[in-house]
Amino acid sequence: MSLPVAPGRARSRRRKEALAALPWLAPTLLLIAGVVIYPAYLMFWTAFQKYNSYGILQGPAGWSNFFGKGGAFTFPTVPWTSVWTNTVIWVVVVVIMTLALSLLLAQFLSKDFPGRKALRLLVLLPWACSVVLTTTVFRYGLQGDVGIFNRFLVDTGILNVPYGFTKDPTAAFWVAVFVAIYVSLPFTTYTILAGLQSVPNDILEAAHVDGANAVQRYWQVVFPMLRPAIAAATLINIINVFNSLPILTILNDNGGYHTGHTTTTLIFQFKAQLGPGVASALSIANFLFCLVVVAFYFWIVKPTKEVQ
Amino acid sequence: MLAKLTKVTAIAAASMFVLTACTGTPSGTSSAPTGGQLPATTIKILAPNYGDTSKADWEKIIAEFNKKQPNVKVELQMEAWETFTDKVKARIQANDLPDILNDNAFASEATTGLLYPITEVMSDSTVKSIEPSLLKNGVGPDGTQWAAPDIASARMMTINTDIMSKAGVTAAPKTWAEMEAACAKIVATKVSCYGMPLGKEEAQVESSLWLWGAGGDWVKDGQLVANQPAAVEGFTEIKKLIDAKATQPDPGASNRQAVADAFNQGKVAMYVTHSGLMATTRKDFPKIKYTLSQIPSKDGSPVAFGVTDFILAFNNKDANRKEATKQFLDLFYSDAMYEGWYKGTGLLPVTTSMINAAKSTDADNKDFYDSLSYVKFNPVSDPKWDALKNALQGTAGTIQKDSPENVLKAVQEQLDAAS
Repeated sequence: MSLPVAPGRARSRRRKEALAALPWLAPTLLLIAGVVIYPAYLMFWTAFQKYNSYGILQGPAGWSNFFGKGGAFTFPTVPWTSVWTNTVIWVVVVVIMTLALSLLLAQFLSKDFPGRKALRLLVLLPWACSVVLTTTVFRYGLQGDVGIFNRFLVDTGILNVPYGFTKDPTAAFWVAVFVAIYVSLPFTTYTILAGLQSVPNDILEAAHVDGANAVQRYWQVVFPMLRPAIAAATLINIINVFNSLPILTILNDNGGYHTGHTTTTLIFQFKAQLGPGVASALSIANFLFCLVVVAFYFWIVKPTKEVQ
Repeated sequence: MLAKLTKVTAIAAASMFVLTACTGTPSGTSSAPTGGQLPATTIKILAPNYGDTSKADWEKIIAEFNKKQPNVKVELQMEAWETFTDKVKARIQANDLPDILNDNAFASEATTGLLYPITEVMSDSTVKSIEPSLLKNGVGPDGTQWAAPDIASARMMTINTDIMSKAGVTAAPKTWAEMEAACAKIVATKVSCYGMPLGKEEAQVESSLWLWGAGGDWVKDGQLVANQPAAVEGFTEIKKLIDAKATQPDPGASNRQAVADAFNQGKVAMYVTHSGLMATTRKDFPKIKYTLSQIPSKDGSPVAFGVTDFILAFNNKDANRKEATKQFLDLFYSDAMYEGWYKGTGLLPVTTSMINAAKSTDADNKDFYDSLSYVKFNPVSDPKWDALKNALQGTAGTIQKDSPENVLKAVQEQLDAAS
């Protein structure tokens, strides 16, 4: 506890300290201003301008990009129910499934067994490849006439005739969920693996000696100690998955306002057909949605507390 | 280092003066009359790839142009068709307007006042050399000739004759009823009958064919109308074929290339094609025997689909660039240059002299030339066409699972909201 200081003096001292820190903070502040604040400002500004579909500025638009005749939220035939449910499912299912599988996989990879190094490298593979490449492989594999996955499903008798997985928007959405989990696994697995390495052996031994069985040891000793790793992995995954565009776009052969859109892919659809103004209007909703998700997460999990 | 750099710059600057001095003949001023040499300037061309030789074909013309105008630098950017509109939009948004654009639409650019009327950047004789019936496609709703066609293509039905005879179909179907009957026989041989690309790339073409087949037209009383009785009739026929499993699987998410591939592999008996696609079939799939025919319609009157792509000239507010553009386009449409260029596209020429020359020599495409007498065009000059096209591309495919009335209602709603 410091001695009470006159508020005026305290403030001036703090200001002095802040000024002294400025040269060291300046690059970071500039970076934040350049890559976070300016684009966000531009998004808000664009949302209130009228553009034609070629992106040529026509003047101020007021709220018409949001709620006008061809506005983001009032454009006819957009299946909003499925867009919102898809968006929530996309984030929640992909992140939870990724975490669950990664916990299993990390546990397995932390055991000592012959060939562990090779297997760890293999798990990295989806991460090392570009997302577009991986997704394109799945897309071709699922092609109706020549796709290898479709061929496999037909030859094994699971399907009678090839199924156009990427031709039906809803089916394509679920394939995208699968691929998104697949490409998110390596990063998450490695983060948790790193967390597992930091669990001290003596604590586990002590728990063992105290008579805790394997299940108890995992849930009551290991899992709580993994919390910082899980917290970091979850937060990064939520934001990554929410913003992910290529998987959903590449795997969906359908155009227009179909039932396989999330808000992110819908932004691109709007950009192509209704211009950047309307797309920015929906981007703002996406931005707010993202903020809410992250806020919820902070509120429930309190990751900063653990990471400290 | 710095001294050296200054020296180099000085030499460069000096030599430039010398160059200007040499070329600066009295007629070579900024308002150069045709024939004189223009001062140093740059014109930019943005063009799509029609085929493997497209870039070389343009470069040939550029080389010829540079013989006459050595001071004019020509910048050529070639892009694939799939993403071409995006590239055009990107250039426009970056305010880097190409002096010459080769595209399949012009209405959006024309309505925003970015273009020269094409007659300002082509001499009268060049304009007159283009087949009038094709030239009028480049006229905007305001009556101005905003664009000039540079290639045409006609689309007709191609039918695999082996599949046809195997199924016991004796003649190419001309009416919808004949087509349904033929398809029933062909489907019985376990081959898809009609390749229907109703996906996001070609739905606007396919929809038009069936609308015209029912005797309708998108333009009614000067307005684009999607939800109209003839369209309902056309879409009902589309749905009939889909429900009878006469089409390839998932027509609502198929593009023309996928359908063409299936045809080349003998998996589809007929589809609507153009001369470029058939050239590939002849070259790479010689085993496929085919015949070309009119596209079936309700009452049997012939339907064929016409497309012209266009040359547009953007206004860069620079007299020298405008003059260079004009000289380039005059050269481009000259028989000597144009012949090689259009042949590289695999499509049909637009100048009267080339059409006449090709009709007598190009036996492979004879049917396509003949169909030019009855082709119909999509209303590309209407500024609302983009909205209708987008709506069709995104929505027509849902006919697989929805009723014609609902699909067309959705298309109409999108058209109304977007335009």
